[in-house]
Amino acid sequence: MPDQLTLTVNGTKQTITTDPDTPLLFVLRNELKLTGPKMGCGMAQCGACAVLLDGEEIRTCVTPISDAAGKQVTTIEGLPAVWAAQKGLSATEAGKTLHPVQQAWIDEQVPQCGYCQSGMMVVAVQLLSKIPNPTVAQIKDAFTNTPPSPHLCRCGTYAAIIDAVQRAAHAMRGAGR
Amino acid sequence: MIGKTNQRETPVFAATISRRGFMKNGGVLLVSLALPVRFIGRAQAAENPTSMDPTLLGSWLEIRSDNTILARTGRTETGVGMTGYYAQTIAEELNVRPEAITLIMGDTDRTPDGGYSAGFLTGMSNLRKVAAYTYQALLGSASMQLGVPISALSVSDGVVSGGGKKISYGELVEGQHLELKIPVKGSLAKPDPAGWVGMTSLDGLTVTGDPPMTAPKEFKVLGTSFPAGHIPDKITGKTQWSCDLTLPGMLHARMVRPATLGSTLISAGAIDKKEFPTAEVVKRGNLLAVVSPNEWEAVQAALTVAGMTKWTEWSGLPGSENVGKAIRQYKWEKPGESRGKAASTMVALQNARKKVSATYEQGYVRHAPIGPFVAVADVKSDGNVTIWTHSAQSQGLRARMAYMLGIPVDKIVVRWMDQSGQYGRTTLGGDGAEADAVILSQLTGKPVRVQWTLDEDLAWSSVSPAWVSDMAAALDTNGHIVALHSAQYSPHMMDPRPLGALLAGMPAATSKPGNWVATEWPYDKIVNRLEDTYGMPNLAGDSANGGLRGNIMRTPGQRQQNFALEGLINEAAAAAGTDPIEYRLAHTTDERLINLLHATAKAANWEKRPSPHRGARRTSSIPVEGRGVCVMIRENAYWVGIAEIAVVPTTGAVHVTKFTIGVEPGKILNPRQLDRCMKSGVVMGLSETLKEEVTFDTKKVTSTDWNNYKILTMEETPEIKVMQLSRDDKGFGGGSEAANAIVPPAVTAAFFDATGVNARRLPLTPQYLVPLLKV
Repeated sequence: MPDQLTLTVNGTKQTITTDPDTPLLFVLRNELKLTGPKMGCGMAQCGACAVLLDGEEIRTCVTPISDAAGKQVTTIEGLPAVWAAQKGLSATEAGKTLHPVQQAWIDEQVPQCGYCQSGMMVVAVQLLSKIPNPTVAQIKDAFTNTPPSPHLCRCGTYAAIIDAVQRAAHAMRGAGR
Repeated sequence: MIGKTNQRETPVFAATISRRGFMKNGGVLLVSLALPVRFIGRAQAAENPTSMDPTLLGSWLEIRSDNTILARTGRTETGVGMTGYYAQTIAEELNVRPEAITLIMGDTDRTPDGGYSAGFLTGMSNLRKVAAYTYQALLGSASMQLGVPISALSVSDGVVSGGGKKISYGELVEGQHLELKIPVKGSLAKPDPAGWVGMTSLDGLTVTGDPPMTAPKEFKVLGTSFPAGHIPDKITGKTQWSCDLTLPGMLHARMVRPATLGSTLISAGAIDKKEFPTAEVVKRGNLLAVVSPNEWEAVQAALTVAGMTKWTEWSGLPGSENVGKAIRQYKWEKPGESRGKAASTMVALQNARKKVSATYEQGYVRHAPIGPFVAVADVKSDGNVTIWTHSAQSQGLRARMAYMLGIPVDKIVVRWMDQSGQYGRTTLGGDGAEADAVILSQLTGKPVRVQWTLDEDLAWSSVSPAWVSDMAAALDTNGHIVALHSAQYSPHMMDPRPLGALLAGMPAATSKPGNWVATEWPYDKIVNRLEDTYGMPNLAGDSANGGLRGNIMRTPGQRQQNFALEGLINEAAAAAGTDPIEYRLAHTTDERLINLLHATAKAANWEKRPSPHRGARRTSSIPVEGRGVCVMIRENAYWVGIAEIAVVPTTGAVHVTKFTIGVEPGKILNPRQLDRCMKSGVVMGLSETLKEEVTFDTKKVTSTDWNNYKILTMEETPEIKVMQLSRDDKGFGGGSEAANAIVPPAVTAAFFDATGVNARRLPLTPQYLVPLLKV
């Protein structure tokens, strides 16, 4: 039976009427038209659908929307606002800003097909919120062992991701203090 | 094409330019085809000089009065950076900034040439010539308008200067509708069940003639690390991928597949309308699906229906552990293709004092993108069909869908959108969810989106077939190879039949079972060589639904054959007691290969010595280290790979610690994109070398999730060192595709160096290696 559920997505409060077991991924993509998160395996084995729930990575393909009720969901569409809020930027400035992780992904030309990269950037944002200057070993651990499953990239962009995380870390430290 | 064809047309090399009319607002130079090729929409565009509507196919290239440039190509962005390369190519020949160029890619109704997107060379060649003809036409026009001879003109950033005067491209076309017709050959894909791959024209149209083009040593835009245009919108979530498309009234579909490959439908499960009020079962033959306007309802209802559906039993596969034996047991006749000197090679091998022979093999592997197949189709009641796809072969897909439906290709429009990587699986235009979507849309009368699941994709998409290679080399008293014979046996890898058509019992054309010699020979000092390749039909191909449908995968044919060839060269070097790089240098006079071997060896701090290493062990529980090398030549690009590994012999764990990859592809067109593609290619190659194999029992594929079809993770990725050599005097070659194929023979050579044992079957899993080391 459909329930009314309220959650905050990229800073906006959303009330959704749906079966509470509906995976959050379907709500984000089909109801809220936030198509950054992608359907990969549907079993929390790849990471293409990852978003931040109250700042922690979750796999939206296996997370019922009821688990997200009352919480903050952040997708890649919301990353610029996260950074703008962190930096206290004006609305005009915020509109022109990318999150340093996104900027690093462009500067390092990380994506090949790009299908997994929304999930990869989510990991990077979470990692840098905890470890501002990670080593290569810490980056590898964050993308492989810490999440529910290793984040998989079939194009093989792992080396570029490591470069981009380090670039973003540098930019965020420089911009921060 | 040369000479005036009427009073309004002026020749520009093999092209002609004419004024089609005047325009009150704006102006444009349209670059169109000289062949009478029919396109939907083209006629209207040509007759409507005020049309700047990019949805009408008017041109290959449009130079507009606002100095923007629109380019169209049937090729697509496959993830290797075509959106950057193509803009660079056009900008180079036109003398404009690449940022001025907008690309339309892959749509059958909006792009002129068709063809496949597996490599960038053929698509690039077309755009390069298109731009070169256009440049000459613009120079001619500027010469007339400025009253300055062409020889006195120069161009920078789209502004022509000469005789103290200047005019921009935009000003040149202001108020005019100009048309430049350029010569082409070939045709767009049409169904051809008797043809090579079940359709005509894998390549689409090719621009002919020889307009003056910029020499590589003069490149200003090519050769720089211009960024790929597709990236920023993918980073922010703005890109509309093919999986993101929604249409009014669209139904979401989930397929219900048979339990086994050769099964037929006995009875389909029913929907409980109380539980799933909007879901419906749709079927045609053995094609079964559940559709609903609500995706989650479709998912759940499909699971319920799948549990209630009954299929016949089938059991016809040999089991993946027996795949080599099954290939051996096929009644082989003569080779599909042979290259080299048969008689002298066989005599030399018979008379050899010393012979090195070995058999190399590999199980089935697959493309396995992170995003499973997805497609949307809208079949209208008037018979017009629109398909939204990520296929790398839009025109070919259109031909296959036309054949399936029994309608002319003109009734179908294929629109291309970004999606997960393909790695060759859609190059032939067949594999994918498009047939499912078309059939379901036809049955329901609504637009239908078909999203395959991962287990469906890993069980049902086409595969890169298993193979066996028998290799033999005759060595002289100095250990030098005097003759080499290779014989490779494999199910064919050109089966483009769409799964949906097969299950629904609709027409699907395939290719002849065959195999081809894919190596490019690096060792000109080996005088006697014979390369034989044998192809058979799909494994279990007599089953109703086609068994394991073989398909090409990144660096097809050459990836497999080079593993066997370079494996044997490494074994011969060891038999001769020679350093494997020295050994290769002794068998070639190719200066490009020699230079690259030296440069890559230096980059890897290669220590000159024979394999195995003095400390090699096959019994230790402490890691033993080894290093190995291999080479490859592909499409005017030279490759060298050097692997450094650590092996724990008691556990069979192989850890690649460093990989050095060297390339010399003539002129490097974009160093950063090449660097990225080389590193990611190494990751894919390591994944295949260490982990990947499609497993199946006698009934079905069993490796249907990421725990059972394992691919490399970030943690397993070694330090990758890239060595690029660029040169101006050898044109440019196939960029990055082959980076995956340079990995496997280097790793197995390093395994031998570490343990003294030859591992000749991929992948190098502990299950394979532990018993091998114990023998």
